[in-house]
Amino acid sequence: MSPRMSEYPQVLFKNRVPGETVLIDGYRTTGGYTALEKAFKELDPATIRDQVKRANLRGRGGAGFPTGIKWSFFPADQPGEKYLVCNCDEMEPGTYKDRELLKADPHQLIEGVIIAAFALQTPVAYIFIRYAFEDCAANLDRAVAEAAAAGYLGKNILGSGFDCEIHVHRSAGRYILGEETALLNGLEGKRPNPRSKPPFPAVRGLFGQPTTVNNVETLANVPHIINHGAEWFKGLARTLEGAGTKLFGLSGHLERTACFELPVGILLREVVEEVGGGVRGGRTFKACLPGGASTPYLTAAQLDTPLDFEPLEAVGSRFGTAGVTVFDDTTCMVAATLNLIRFFARESCGWCTPCRDGLPVVAWLLDKIEAGKATFDDIDMLKDQFRNISGRSFCALAEGAMGPVAGLLNHFEQELADHVIKGRCPLKKK
Amino acid sequence: MELLPENQQEFFRSKAAAIAHPRELVIDALRAVQSHHGWVPDEGVTLVAALLGILPIEVEEVATFYDKIFRRPVGKRVIHVCDSICCWTREGEAIFTYLQEKLGIAPGETTTDGVFTLLPTCCLGACGDAPAMMIGLTTYGPLTPQRIDEILAQVRAEVSA
Amino acid sequence: MPTLTIDNQPVTVAEGTTIIQAAERLGLVIPHFCYHEALGAAGSCRLCAVRIEKGPLKGIQMACMIPAQDGMVVTTLDPEAVEFRAHVAEWAMTDHPHDCPVCDEGGECQLQEMTIAAGHGTRRFRGLKRTYPNQDLGPFIVQEMNRCIQCYRCVRTYRDYCGGTDYGTFGSRNRVAYGRVTAGRLASPFSGNIIDLCPTGVLTDKTFRFKCRSWDLQEAPSVCPHCSLGCNTLPGARYRELLRVKARVNRAVNGFFICDRGRFGHGYQNHPQRLREPHVDGESVSWNDALAAVHERISQTTEHHGHGTVAFLGSRRATLEANLLLGQWAAATGCTRTVYECHPEFDRIARTVAARLGDQRRSPGDIQRSDFILLIGAEPLAEAPVLALAIRQAKRNGARIVILDPRPPQLPCAFEHLPLTPEQLQLALEQLATKKFKGWTRDESTTLRNLGKDLTAAQNPVIIGAGALLGAAGIERLFDLVDASSPAARPCGVLVPLAGPNSYAAGLLSNGGPDFDDLLDAILNGMVKTLVCLETDPFEDYPQHGRAQSALAQLESLIVLDALPTQTTRHADIVLPTTVPVESDGCYINHEGRLQAFAKVLDPGLSVAVTGGGDHPPRIFEQSAPGNLPRPAWAILAEILKLPTETAALRQQLARTDNRFAALTQIHRAAEGEIVTAIGIPPRPQDDDGAVESSVPGSLQLWPIDTFGGADIFSTYSVHLDPLRDEPYILLADEDAKQRGLTDGAGAVLTSELGHLKVRVRCTATIPAGIAFLPHLLRGATAGFVPGGGALSCTLKSVEGEA
Ligand SMILES: Cc1cc2nc3c(=O)[nH]c(=O)nc-3n(C[C@H](O)[C@H](O)[C@H](O)COP(=O)(O)O)c2cc1C
Ligand code: SF4
Ligand code: SF4
Ligand code: SF4
Ligand code: FES
Ligand code: FES
Repeated sequence: MSPRMSEYPQVLFKNRVPGETVLIDGYRTTGGYTALEKAFKELDPATIRDQVKRANLRGRGGAGFPTGIKWSFFPADQPGEKYLVCNCDEMEPGTYKDRELLKADPHQLIEGVIIAAFALQTPVAYIFIRYAFEDCAANLDRAVAEAAAAGYLGKNILGSGFDCEIHVHRSAGRYILGEETALLNGLEGKRPNPRSKPPFPAVRGLFGQPTTVNNVETLANVPHIINHGAEWFKGLARTLEGAGTKLFGLSGHLERTACFELPVGILLREVVEEVGGGVRGGRTFKACLPGGASTPYLTAAQLDTPLDFEPLEAVGSRFGTAGVTVFDDTTCMVAATLNLIRFFARESCGWCTPCRDGLPVVAWLLDKIEAGKATFDDIDMLKDQFRNISGRSFCALAEGAMGPVAGLLNHFEQELADHVIKGRCPLKKK
Repeated sequence: MELLPENQQEFFRSKAAAIAHPRELVIDALRAVQSHHGWVPDEGVTLVAALLGILPIEVEEVATFYDKIFRRPVGKRVIHVCDSICCWTREGEAIFTYLQEKLGIAPGETTTDGVFTLLPTCCLGACGDAPAMMIGLTTYGPLTPQRIDEILAQVRAEVSA
Repeated sequence: MPTLTIDNQPVTVAEGTTIIQAAERLGLVIPHFCYHEALGAAGSCRLCAVRIEKGPLKGIQMACMIPAQDGMVVTTLDPEAVEFRAHVAEWAMTDHPHDCPVCDEGGECQLQEMTIAAGHGTRRFRGLKRTYPNQDLGPFIVQEMNRCIQCYRCVRTYRDYCGGTDYGTFGSRNRVAYGRVTAGRLASPFSGNIIDLCPTGVLTDKTFRFKCRSWDLQEAPSVCPHCSLGCNTLPGARYRELLRVKARVNRAVNGFFICDRGRFGHGYQNHPQRLREPHVDGESVSWNDALAAVHERISQTTEHHGHGTVAFLGSRRATLEANLLLGQWAAATGCTRTVYECHPEFDRIARTVAARLGDQRRSPGDIQRSDFILLIGAEPLAEAPVLALAIRQAKRNGARIVILDPRPPQLPCAFEHLPLTPEQLQLALEQLATKKFKGWTRDESTTLRNLGKDLTAAQNPVIIGAGALLGAAGIERLFDLVDASSPAARPCGVLVPLAGPNSYAAGLLSNGGPDFDDLLDAILNGMVKTLVCLETDPFEDYPQHGRAQSALAQLESLIVLDALPTQTTRHADIVLPTTVPVESDGCYINHEGRLQAFAKVLDPGLSVAVTGGGDHPPRIFEQSAPGNLPRPAWAILAEILKLPTETAALRQQLARTDNRFAALTQIHRAAEGEIVTAIGIPPRPQDDDGAVESSVPGSLQLWPIDTFGGADIFSTYSVHLDPLRDEPYILLADEDAKQRGLTDGAGAVLTSELGHLKVRVRCTATIPAGIAFLPHLLRGATAGFVPGGGALSCTLKSVEGEA
């Protein structure tokens, strides 16, 4: 473990024991479900929404939209069908924090979902979970049953008059299901192409009814905010504007590749060098994806960037899902980008042209460059593809695919040129 | 081979009748057929449509979208090897090649004994344990050739048991 | 009404209009693939990019997705937008097989046009192309998936717009494909529309495949002759053969769509049995001799038997011009017995409609905007298929659809259905109007009473009924109900599909005159000796074949003008071959009173495929084309009457003589046709109110009905439609079948006054007991069973050994 691990407050991972899953009794011994009791007995839905807003909790699913603001758009007081949907599709390469959370401590999410459902007055909640997370889905099934047995789910919860049921929906693959409107189509049993926005899910979501979609980690934070307050939550972060802790999934060429709960705003250098134990085999840090496969690369020059939404945007990248994938100096960034683009092209839903047919063109170009068969015209073509795909697709998938390409063009133009000049990959051992 | 045991069929029929939007069960039903029958043949599509009271085309449109619904025969266990970025940084390509050599099949093929089908997949959410693969619904990682040998032997034993 | 500026031109549009539509108003076509006026925007192709310079959402945006707003400033020529559109075209073309030289879409391909419009010319992508296997979609449509650009128009047309259930989208990423779950004919009766709506050569017309390049076609605006709805079409012909039919836009009538009967039922034009030469007494003669013979027979008749012994029979499928001229000719011979419809019941219905429709007439375009549609004894899919499409759009817009009918309804949308017997339909019509419900079970009266209330409460209700089950008396009751449901503030709409494309004109022209029953009486009484039939077949179309036959046998002369052989032409003394609609100009009045003109597409003549015997060019050289003798009926009549035989001059003359049709002079310019507002004379009151005779115990009440396969003569002569034609079947209630030891699909023998007939049993639970339905197949096994003549009594026995 990192020598400084004890300095990092553990909120979401406080119960985590590797290889074990906390059941309801264990969860309650460390204060589990006290937030729920407090919410139902002492608070009204509007107050809860307000607290979450004041806590400045931002969505942990990748886009970072402030949860309190999203909730304030929701017609909580409007009668009729409404839904809360928890997004556990988690398929962006480099992202595995929701899985770690659900493997360790599933009740946190259940408690968060119930409080959120109460705050939004949605009597039905769905947890949408990807195919590969059967272990987590089983944990959730069990946790739902335990919570129901304890009276936290079902009719008239804790005498509040509020009913709530949770359905765990198991999916069958495909990254696009993580996009919230595609997810809603998927839940409905339709082809999971994204829907056009507006109307936003808060107006017309699941089955055409008002719906809020939130990430697993986002909702798991809610009980802690209720218990400890908005100020406490903001205080967890190292940046002024930031709030809370964040689950960072470390991967790639690091000594320690695991998921850690760290303060929002922690410096990239600290994550790489201390928490991650430095680059594997004592090699040099070349670049990283700071927040999942769709975020532009950072280089060694940016190691001192605080990992939070604004500072990362300032250096031309994004916080994303905080999945940090590190590349050492042996890595060919063209090859890495090719791998990423192939992922996005394969996971395209096939709805819009720039993504469906544009990404294969980008992959073809990168493949050609990597093979040493490209000319400078091809690099120009890569640039014009980038320029024309960015911001032009129907949903954010293709936009995300352009993240690594942006990083490649911004930071590794010379490496691209070297491929052309040398007629081979300059990093490949011969 | 039976597509879905009668009690499960009845489960879907009555659940579909009881809910407002039976179509939401389509993935559940397809997965049920798949886990019982191994893969979803044309008759599986028609069966799911009939159980849920929806059109066969509505089932097929969905079944062909998802990569974890198999519309063609597969072996008793499907091996999904992650080929995404974190596994790639940790010798994922070599692992994939090793698996192909070890099993004597190319991606998309099934071993002659009908036990394994090998498929690439995107990130399994096991990036900390890269390189990773999933057999059936179980994830394995970090993989080395030795680990793979052990795992394959163990799964083969389970299958033949 | 926002005003915005597009490329420096201001335009004011209705609220909700998108930028792409606003640009269209200025005559600017913003390149697009997935957007289509009838389907709306999908936002998937991304070709329609423009820059919004001023407005709530600035920057590059999709013109099909963004509603116009006041003060918006849009440019389509922005360099970034231009560059992006070229990229979209480039992407769309990456996997294209570049097989335009052998693609039937070539020359009318939106992909070609838009690729050029978007500025993509040179291929840069040199990677492997994704390829697809194709699926066999049946006899009408060929699929060539490699040409697909994934615009999703076909599914949106087939599933969303037309309500088809067996075509969809498969797969994901750049492997998205379209088709059926298993190969086979697309089941929707509107399947052909995907050919028109697909912007590429993926979906093309199989009946037209490799026959001709589209730019070599002779085309002219036309009107479908296969039912009374009058869809606008664009037929295409080459080498004297009608090769295909496409939909032509008429927003009031058919929008962008036609049915498969209209599209694929074009084989009649070049049918080998076409009447090609004038005949007198079975001998082929010249036109001069034939017309001399006509003249002679008519003068002889009047000389021997006196004025008025020659009678004239017009028709529902002859043009307005020809019917009008027939009337003039009749008047010239002193005839007082001119009839325009040989089926007396349909005649009464046409007259009722022409007399009572007035401002309550509703077009399919109006019906799409209705909020409550009540169908009583109507089967749109058989009687006027595109009407079913309009009803579906109303349903999609939130309308309520209620059907009172004994048959299981075939509508391509959800509806409420109350299965009532034909007698109960009459009762329901009457009592919905009087609001006094008697003779029902309690549930039934509650349902009907609520229905009456909802009808009154609806904003924009339409009642639809047809003659086959309701008969003339029922249609009169239907109009009474419409009147009773029409407070001044909010008239109730009505639509009654009629028997043929020009039935409405027949109803107007009859002017209170006699009907065909009267005429048959006159023949039987010896008061009529010669009959001139204009494109009509009283031997088949008059419901009581025996009576027609014995009367017509007494004629001294039967003179027939027609294009295809019928029972009547077979009995004729003189046959004058006429053109079919695509071979001449002409007008029809559709069932809502809409006068529509069609123009000549091609000259008559034996097609080169026939005369050339496969050789090209054909080896016979003549001044005129072989088989070109047929003439438009109106031209023959005009010549007999010594009137101009040129369309414009003739229409002038006709409009002058009968000012109800003043619109005739301008009609070729009217984009949506012209409503004929003249009011017809209703039929004389009739004592028989359509009640069915009580039947022998153990017998069934048998109702002949029309089906989609088509009972009009043109479709029966079109081989392409064979797959849509049912073999004779009888449709009855489960319990009636069970009583007779019959099951669904079993063979049976039907016995009625018309003899024995082998049929296949189809049964369902919803049909009321005691009644059964038999599809009318003109010129086929059930030809004798003409709809609209009421019910017959029949018995049904199973056939041993039939599966
Ligand atoms: C292609 C794509 C994939 C996504 N995948 C996920 C995902 O796996 N999990 C997730 O929570 N959000 C994902 N998102 C973001 C969601 O659309 C949505 O913003 C999020 O679930 C909202 O929750 P939050 O506000 O709590 O973050 C994805 C977005 C896109 C465009
Ligand atoms: S960008 Fe377009 S094709 Fe790609 S996933 Fe989104 S909607 Fe589908
Ligand atoms: S088949 Fe035609 S209409 Fe359908 S998606 Fe392809 S190009 Fe578009
Ligand atoms: S609905 Fe009638 S007029 Fe229209 S295409 Fe079909 S047959 Fe022709
Ligand atoms: S990249 Fe292989 S499991 Fe995430
Ligand atoms: S026409 Fe606008 S996106 Fe296709």
